[in-house]
Amino acid sequence: MNALQPTVFVVDDYAPVRNAISRLLRTAGFVVATFESADAFLAQYNPAACGCVVLDLAMPAVSGLELQEILAQSGSLLPIIFLTAHGSIPKSVRAMKHGASDFLTKPVNDEDLLTAVRAAIERNRAVRLEQAELSEIRARLATLTPREREVLEYVVAGKLNKQIAGSLGTVEQTVKVHRAHVMQKMGARSVAELVRLTQRCGIGGR
Amino acid sequence: MSWVTALWSMNAAACLTLAGFYLAVWCKQRQSPFYLLFSCSAIAAAAISLFELWMLNSRTVDQYQPLVRWIHVPTWALTLSFVAFVRLYLHAGRTWLIWSIYGLRTLVLILNFIFPVSINFTAITDVRQFSWGGQMVSVPVGTPNPWGLLSNVSLLLLLIFAVDAAIVVWRRGDRRRALLVGGSMIFGGVLAWHVPLVIWGVIDVPFFLGFTYSAIVAAMGYELSNDVARAAGLVREVEISEKRLNLAADSANVGMWEWDIVRDEIWITDKGRAMFGFDSVEKIDFHLFRSRLHPEDRESVLKAVENSLATGESYESQYRVLLPSGELRWIAGRGQVEFDRERRPVRMHGASLDITTRKQAEEQAERQRNEMAHLSRVTMLGELSGSIAHELNLPLSAILTNAQTAQRILRSDGADLGEVREILQEIVSEDRRASDAIRRLRLWLTKREVQQHSLRINKVVRDVLKLIRSDLVNQKVEVETELTPNLPAVIGDPIQLQQILLNLVVNACDAMASCPTSERRLIIRTGIENGSRAITVSITDQGHGIPEKNMEHVFEPFFTTKEKGMGLGLSVCRTIIAAHRGTLWATNNSERGATFHFRLPMTAPKKKEAIDNIGSS
Repeated sequence: MNALQPTVFVVDDYAPVRNAISRLLRTAGFVVATFESADAFLAQYNPAACGCVVLDLAMPAVSGLELQEILAQSGSLLPIIFLTAHGSIPKSVRAMKHGASDFLTKPVNDEDLLTAVRAAIERNRAVRLEQAELSEIRARLATLTPREREVLEYVVAGKLNKQIAGSLGTVEQTVKVHRAHVMQKMGARSVAELVRLTQRCGIGGR
Repeated sequence: MSWVTALWSMNAAACLTLAGFYLAVWCKQRQSPFYLLFSCSAIAAAAISLFELWMLNSRTVDQYQPLVRWIHVPTWALTLSFVAFVRLYLHAGRTWLIWSIYGLRTLVLILNFIFPVSINFTAITDVRQFSWGGQMVSVPVGTPNPWGLLSNVSLLLLLIFAVDAAIVVWRRGDRRRALLVGGSMIFGGVLAWHVPLVIWGVIDVPFFLGFTYSAIVAAMGYELSNDVARAAGLVREVEISEKRLNLAADSANVGMWEWDIVRDEIWITDKGRAMFGFDSVEKIDFHLFRSRLHPEDRESVLKAVENSLATGESYESQYRVLLPSGELRWIAGRGQVEFDRERRPVRMHGASLDITTRKQAEEQAERQRNEMAHLSRVTMLGELSGSIAHELNLPLSAILTNAQTAQRILRSDGADLGEVREILQEIVSEDRRASDAIRRLRLWLTKREVQQHSLRINKVVRDVLKLIRSDLVNQKVEVETELTPNLPAVIGDPIQLQQILLNLVVNACDAMASCPTSERRLIIRTGIENGSRAITVSITDQGHGIPEKNMEHVFEPFFTTKEKGMGLGLSVCRTIIAAHRGTLWATNNSERGATFHFRLPMTAPKKKEAIDNIGSS
């Protein structure tokens, strides 16, 4: 699996459908990998892979829904487009609840499938980007000393230097130094930007 | 005529009469040679009487001498034929005694013709005449031949033979015959001793050897009259039993018939004539009978007849006849062939029964069974509609995607026609798959006559699994098949057999619905039942089994443990299997779950090749 190039992973136990979908996607310019079962897919699964999964709902052994669960547990970011011959409502609800990207019934119209695949790949790209940013922010946060971290929390809560010094039992001058370090380490040019970064990591002010 | 002449002549006449009777009896019953033997002995006895009469009336030595010698010829014939007669008629008498008597008697005959005069005399000097009972009779005077003792020894052996045979017959329990035949034989054997006594001059009587046989003549005459009386009784009994038989046959609607194969004439009771639409005087031959047969059944009847004629097995056949009035009747025929000694069929007799009513009832029952089966099939199909839709959806899905891809390729610049060709290939094969599924459905849904195909049960199993595949996937039931390869064919309706299997598979899946998915395992086995000509199929589930008290009830109509469902499935299955001359039953597994089994009779192996390809689809 190429981790950099978006790939459409087609998992379907019925070979003619699997091949037809693969051919359609290739014709539309996608990179496609096909698997005849959930197990075959899992055997080659690379968590870093990008793209999306086109998954048959009813398969012997491990079903589509079960594969979705397994992938979710492993923290996969790959969006899943379900294909099903008989679109039963309970199953589609369950699939969507668990974050399915789309739920299409067979026979599927080519445009519908391609639109869904494009959207899924785009979504995957966005999610991956966001994930990358998040981990960048987290990495910066990790470089802060405990004192600087405390100061950060007071700053994003909108506290003045004087107030912070009071709360920490220190002088305003010291707070200023810490604050400068925080801004520098986090790469924020303004308090507003600092607030935006910390919010994305779920850190609130004190 | 003197009374002596009259008496000796009468004796001869009596012997000849009886000989004639028995000769006539033998002509009718060639398989009983003892009648001929008796006839011969009686003729010999008559000859002896005539010789004696001649001797009694001889006046000179020259006249007397040749008679004394030649009388030994009928005596020899009498001894030989009578001993053989006793042996065959009474089934008694020791073999070594018989051969001793034959040997000795023949030796006596030979010596008789070697000696100058006879075995009895070395010389006859005179013929003495004396008055006996008022009549003048002649006796020889001469020197007795010592070799004459041989003749006496043979007479002694004959007596021993007679006594021994009589004892054997008496012990066997046939006392009447022992007394009659044995007794008269002994009487004759004792009386014959007057001959040496006369020759040795001990007593002075004429020879009356011919009369020693009269007791036997009387005994056999009595036997004959007995036989005649018994035969008359038998004729009457036969007439009575024939009347009874006809009465029974008529009241049972059975037509009795007899076919004289040599003359090709068929005799048949009036009931039978009416059955086949023959009028009461019409002469019937096989060709006419054949013309009454329904064209479709003609061949099978002829085959059955030919088989009986060739093998001697009893004839049995069920067929339709078309009466001149246009009426159609069902007849069940049964018969036996009689053969002559060269194993040529000469006669065939049997009975025909009008089974039209029964056949109509059977047909009615079959129609009802069919409708029931059809109804149950339609119901089951309704329950499986998801699976069937899936079966159609898959190929349609592949076709649509392929077709749209091809459109895309053709729209693009520099279209890859190789790819398009591949796509079209797939579209064709998927279309076939879809139409196969539709054809199967149509077979399932059509109400039709029961087919009698020869088919392979393994193929039926595979077809059913194809039909229900997606249901099994959805229900997460894992199917294991243990199909014995190259099983002989069974005769049956492919759709109905599929229906049974499908029903059992669906039931097995339902039985496992509450089990964890990893334990939902279904095993289908096919095989040959040990020691019988039957194919067995079993479907084993891992469910909760059947409570023992319900084991038989599950096959009853309207018995169900499911929330939905009429409880007709298994009862219909059992009816279908019974119509295939098979059985359906259930057992609980030793560990868990239940197994449903059915057994179907195999077809005869010789027909195997012809049928194989019909199968089911």
